[in-house]
Amino acid sequence: MQSRSPVEIADQFSRKRVTLVAVATFVFLGVQLIAGPFWGARRGTPYISQIGWVINAFVLLLMLAIGSGLLRNRRIRSLVDDEVSRHNREMGIIAGYWVAMAIAMGLYVMTAFRTFTAREALYLVVTPSVGVALLTFCYLEWRAHRDA
Amino acid sequence: MHDRLRNNLREERARRNLTQADLATLVGVSRKTINTVENSVFIPSTVLALQLARALKTTVESLFQLPE
Repeated sequence: MQSRSPVEIADQFSRKRVTLVAVATFVFLGVQLIAGPFWGARRGTPYISQIGWVINAFVLLLMLAIGSGLLRNRRIRSLVDDEVSRHNREMGIIAGYWVAMAIAMGLYVMTAFRTFTAREALYLVVTPSVGVALLTFCYLEWRAHRDA
Repeated sequence: MHDRLRNNLREERARRNLTQADLATLVGVSRKTINTVENSVFIPSTVLALQLARALKTTVESLFQLPE
């Protein structure tokens, strides 16, 4: 059997990464919609579930930040995280940043009508911005792979 | 699609009977990078443009042009 070239291995890894990150993000957002700690906390959600949100968001951000940093092979790692991937990651982070800013400003205005705890406000800022950052990255990566 | 930069990368690559994977290997980037540049989805850096030109034994100007 002919061994695969580094470009083919990187290509396959990169495609899998898009699927993995997209699924992980949808699961993260889905869980928040169904049983999020913000709404759930009001119903007495266990402490572990509330901590779970922080861990989940942190892991997702880590996936965005390090990309293929855990790959041992340096050549494959540089191929997976080449110019286009770095650009797509930056675009994802920028999209997430603007969503965070928009929601933060919206919450600032909303405080004239109701109060938010620090935990509620942070949750409302972080959850959508993490989701948008990762889904933007996934979309751009998917588009880059399309027709390749 | 960028309308600020046109490129002949696909034509030049085809002229040399190279696949996207072949060119990616020559340049040291992923196949998706070659694909996005060919489809004008991504404007490459100066370094990558020079690497592509070198790999295809041509000049950057013949690969990339500004529209008139």
